Amino acid sequence: MDPQADSPVSFLPHLEAKIRQTHNLARLLTKYAEQLLEEYVQQQGDPFGLPGFSPPRLSLAGLSGPSPSHMGLPLSERLRQDAAALDALPGLLDAVRRRQAELNPSSPRLLRNLEDAARQARALGVAVETVLAALGSAARGPGPEPAATTALSTANNAAGIFSAKVLGLHVCGLYGEWVNRTEGDLSQLVPGDVA
Amino acid sequence: MSESRVAEFGFFTKDRTACFRLTAPHTAMGAYSWWKEPSWMVDSKRRRMTPNWPWLLSALTLLQVNAVQAHSLKRGSAQDLKCTTKNMQVWDCTWTAPVGVSPGTVKEVCIKDRLNSCHRLESTNIKIAALSPGDHEVAINYLNGFQSKFTLNENDVSLIPDTPESLDLSADFSTSTLHLRWNDRGSAFPYPCNATWEIKVLQNPSMELVKLVSFNTTLSGRDIVHHWNWTSDLPLQCATHSVGIRWYIDYNRFSGYKVWSDWSPLKNVSWTPNSETNVFPQDKVILAGSDITFCCVSQTKVLSGQIGKTFCPLIHLYGENVAIHIRNISVSENSGTNVVFTTEDNVYGTVVFAGYPPDIPQKLNCETHDFKEIICSWNPGRPTGLVGPRNTDYTLSESISGKSVPFKRFETLTNESYRLAFQMLPGQEIHNFTLTGRNPLGHAESAVFINITERVAPHVPVSLRVKDISSTVVTLSWHLPGNFAKINLLCQVEICKASSEREVRNATIKGAEESSYLVAVDKLNPYTLYTFRVRCSTETFWKWSKWSNEKRHLTTEAIPSRGPDTWREWSSDGKNLIIYWKPLPINEANGKILSYNVSCSSNEETQSLSEILDPQHRAEIQLEKSDYIISVVAKNSAGSSPPSKIASMEIPNDDIIVEQAVGMGKRIFLSWHPDPNMTCDYVIKWCNSSRSEPCLMDWIKVPSNSTKTVIESDQFQPGVRYNFYLYGCTNQGYQLLRSIIGYIEELAPIVAPNFTVEDTSADSILVKWEDIPVEELRGFLRGYLFYFQKGERDTPKTRTFETGHSDIKLKNITDISQKTLRIADLQGKTSYHLVLRAYTHGGLGPEKSMFVVTKENSVGLIIAILIPVAVAVIVGVVTSILCYRKREWIKETFYPDIPNPENCKALQFQKSICEGSSALKTLEMNPCTPNNVEVLESRSIVPKIEDTEIISPVAERPGESSEADPENHVVVSYCPPIIEEEIANPAADEVGGTSQVVYIDVQSMYQPQAKPEEEQGIDPGVVAAYKPQMRLPINSAVEDFAAAEDEADKTAGYRPQANVNTWNLVSPDSPRSTDSNSEIVSFGSPCSINSRQFLIPPKDEDSPKSNGGGWSFTNFFQNKPND
Repeated sequence: MDPQADSPVSFLPHLEAKIRQTHNLARLLTKYAEQLLEEYVQQQGDPFGLPGFSPPRLSLAGLSGPSPSHMGLPLSERLRQDAAALDALPGLLDAVRRRQAELNPSSPRLLRNLEDAARQARALGVAVETVLAALGSAARGPGPEPAATTALSTANNAAGIFSAKVLGLHVCGLYGEWVNRTEGDLSQLVPGDVA
Repeated sequence: MSESRVAEFGFFTKDRTACFRLTAPHTAMGAYSWWKEPSWMVDSKRRRMTPNWPWLLSALTLLQVNAVQAHSLKRGSAQDLKCTTKNMQVWDCTWTAPVGVSPGTVKEVCIKDRLNSCHRLESTNIKIAALSPGDHEVAINYLNGFQSKFTLNENDVSLIPDTPESLDLSADFSTSTLHLRWNDRGSAFPYPCNATWEIKVLQNPSMELVKLVSFNTTLSGRDIVHHWNWTSDLPLQCATHSVGIRWYIDYNRFSGYKVWSDWSPLKNVSWTPNSETNVFPQDKVILAGSDITFCCVSQTKVLSGQIGKTFCPLIHLYGENVAIHIRNISVSENSGTNVVFTTEDNVYGTVVFAGYPPDIPQKLNCETHDFKEIICSWNPGRPTGLVGPRNTDYTLSESISGKSVPFKRFETLTNESYRLAFQMLPGQEIHNFTLTGRNPLGHAESAVFINITERVAPHVPVSLRVKDISSTVVTLSWHLPGNFAKINLLCQVEICKASSEREVRNATIKGAEESSYLVAVDKLNPYTLYTFRVRCSTETFWKWSKWSNEKRHLTTEAIPSRGPDTWREWSSDGKNLIIYWKPLPINEANGKILSYNVSCSSNEETQSLSEILDPQHRAEIQLEKSDYIISVVAKNSAGSSPPSKIASMEIPNDDIIVEQAVGMGKRIFLSWHPDPNMTCDYVIKWCNSSRSEPCLMDWIKVPSNSTKTVIESDQFQPGVRYNFYLYGCTNQGYQLLRSIIGYIEELAPIVAPNFTVEDTSADSILVKWEDIPVEELRGFLRGYLFYFQKGERDTPKTRTFETGHSDIKLKNITDISQKTLRIADLQGKTSYHLVLRAYTHGGLGPEKSMFVVTKENSVGLIIAILIPVAVAVIVGVVTSILCYRKREWIKETFYPDIPNPENCKALQFQKSICEGSSALKTLEMNPCTPNNVEVLESRSIVPKIEDTEIISPVAERPGESSEADPENHVVVSYCPPIIEEEIANPAADEVGGTSQVVYIDVQSMYQPQAKPEEEQGIDPGVVAAYKPQMRLPINSAVEDFAAAEDEADKTAGYRPQANVNTWNLVSPDSPRSTDSNSEIVSFGSPCSINSRQFLIPPKDEDSPKSNGGGWSFTNFFQNKPND
């Protein structure tokens, strides 16, 4: 298989199964991400969740949303970016969960969803890396703690609660976007599931 | 205005220093004293003059002017001398040189009453040590020899302290609080001395005064640094704030003027913006219901500000900075209330947490379960609305031991339990606990002082065991965790019989450490299932522990306490005695009954039956009907009961009255009068009344002191009659005392009484009915309801009796022995609907109904008959008389002489025949001269006279008719009398021709016939005379029938006019049955129109003999309307 090609080709059965499994996981997490964002917004109080309330996106060093040029990259590069983002997201989600544990200690559902999201993002990232490795394209190895996590932790502690809420909203949104993008990228590898 | 007015007179300067005056009277100075009071007398606002004060001021001013004028006259030209002091130790005096004298020509100043009192100087200013109280003469000598004298007094000196200098002004921007520090320099003043400070806060850039506060301190002779904090409503980040301070000294030994110092130089506090935070205050916790101001520092235009979803009006500060003010903020949700400012390119926000300080902990309760730890619990009271780091922290402190325990909160628990465990110290019984709750908005505490030995709530007892001692005594043991060695335990044992009452017994036990405890429980019943459970407290009762788990235990057996209740019945043939006994109740059986021994004894012998095993409770012994004593003994594993005895024979009692009783539900209540002769007991037996004797459903035994009982049995059924027999027991045996029939519940009868009509007259009906069988009555018969109303069968009105209908007449027959009823005042010849129903207290039974027609009034009938007959007779007699007397005239008029037929040659009778027999004359068609001949000519075929039965006998002779012209001519000749009648022939009319028919008078041949069925409704008088049958209305059915019978009619001569099948038409004259269950049957007697004979059908036994309308002879002879 030429990983540069963006069209699905025939894989070995076990690789195909792995891709399909990873794709299914990404598709499932897409729904979970929507639920997480909905639950998060609901617990932050007004005007979070109100129509017209759209705080500007905050930049997290080391992690940003999928760029519009993402689709123009080769598939393997896109998957590498997906894996890198999914690798950074668990730490961010954990930081959000810790802050929410102070703000909403009596909302176990939100805390559980954040915890699950971190675990699922980690699992999806590992799965994508496995696919990349199977395809012969080395993924970026596990490095030090992503700068985004550090930045967020610092921001969480130093900035006000409102900024922390906005950051959490941003992280939850990023989680959904990257999971969605990963699902889209994987779909191009799934035989018979080309968009 | 007041200052300017005073300045006109030169007494005061604008800085309120006192102007020197020449020996001004004290009274005048005293009058001015209020005016010279410093501004510390008021707080932040200057005192304003009341409306009366200008008048007073004018008066005093006038007085002062007069005084000055007086001094001027005395001392010459006036020159001002004014003195001030900063510390009341040195006075600083200045004056104005006299006119024409240069200030530099001053030579010396001398104070008259002081040593070395002259001070050389060359200016008009001198600092002198403070003078003692009182007037001092001061002389100022000039070089030119000019001298000015003044009188100087402390009262005229103004105390003006130095301007205070603030050491430090800082700001806590997180709390918007300013901190000011300054030194009071108290070492420079005599002490104690009161100082009044005034601090002002100005808000830039407009320098608006936002705070002015004053307060007092005491100078203690040394320098003290003072602090002042102030929290701004507007976050300090949003505007620069400036602070100034001044003071005023009030020393009571200084009688001069006290004047405010100058304001200190303003010190500013400003905030350096950073790029991250733009909205203030950040994450503040405030009291719910308070007001708060949020501001936004922005370089761009702020479009909106909102709290939650509510937008607020913007307050513009300076630049692009804005603020919003929130009043009465409500309690925040868990994550706080968001405050958001929106600019053109960004959104800034902060979160505020509005809540309450901790409520005072309520119901603080400290107790121990085991003397190892003390558990304190409380109710936090009003929720604070704050969670997470802002939630209330509780700390439990014990003051005697000095130990404290923090409360660890589990936020994830929904139902938070506010409990703290405090480890007990050995030997400490008295504890003074203080529970303190603290959150960012405040703190609250609650205390409790306890002796822990009085606050013991033991743990639940465990390991409860039961051990048998005897059939009535057991021991209970259980374990109670805890160290109770120093106290006594008070325990309760709950004893519960199965489905019975509960009994609680107390036991005091010496406490021990981690021990088991044992108590004996006596007075139990043998062979009884008990449920035990235990709980404990202490002698100094505080709380019971929870009940232990229940322990069920069956005590051992004992012999039955008495013999079973016994009864006997002789069999129907009197040869066998059947003995019954009741199983002993469990509390008297004292065990499981295994068998019974039954024996019969008389004077001669004793007969014992073999052992009868439980659960058989009946035995039969073949005995002669004589006196025996029956004995029954119950046996269990522990032994035999005392015997129960009963005599085989009853004591006769002939004075028995049968009574009635009705029960409720499944029970019936019986009572009786006490009978002192009944020494043993009473027995009540009962059976179904429909059963044959002897019958015994069941029986009960009632103590002899009872006079009532309630009998309850599942076998009882509503609507069934039972017989109850009450027996009383004497030493000689049982005697029947009462016999009662009763129902558990009365029901309505299920059948209607069978009733018949015994007699009917024109105005009454006699009804008779029969009894309803007991089984179908289903209750005590209380009476009958008899309804009747006019009506005929199948009319809607009479199908059902509607209650309240005015036509319905109702008779309630409460005399149940009455079996007949005569209904009077009825109308004759009228149909009545009769209904009879029986009723009990259970309700009305079904109804039985009947229709009866009353007879016609016989007198009227007789009159109706006799009058026409009499009239007819009279008319006949008169007619006969008249005819007789006018017979000649009649003869000539109606019967003129008839020509002798013998003279007619055409009609020549054979003489021999005519002469031989006058009755036998033959009409011969010989040529003769007829008296009258009618020749009828028809243009068509001669119509058959099908619609008439009257045909000329001459024309119907077949033989002769064949000889005559059968088609066109009919020539009729006959012997007189001849009646001619011309009628219209409908058939002939239809063809446009006419025919003439000659009828023979047939009245002599036929009797008047009955009305045809179709005309039965017509007045009989209308059809009294004979009518030709062809004129009867012929319906289609008759036409059809006539057509079908056409051929037969042509030749048969005589024929019935109708099919007999049509006789079943109802004739109004026909009597009919009125029985509701019978069909309407017509037995009218249609007579053969031809034969005019009545055809009486066979008698219908079921048919009533009354008719429904009109009268006839058949009705006349009928006397039973129904049977």
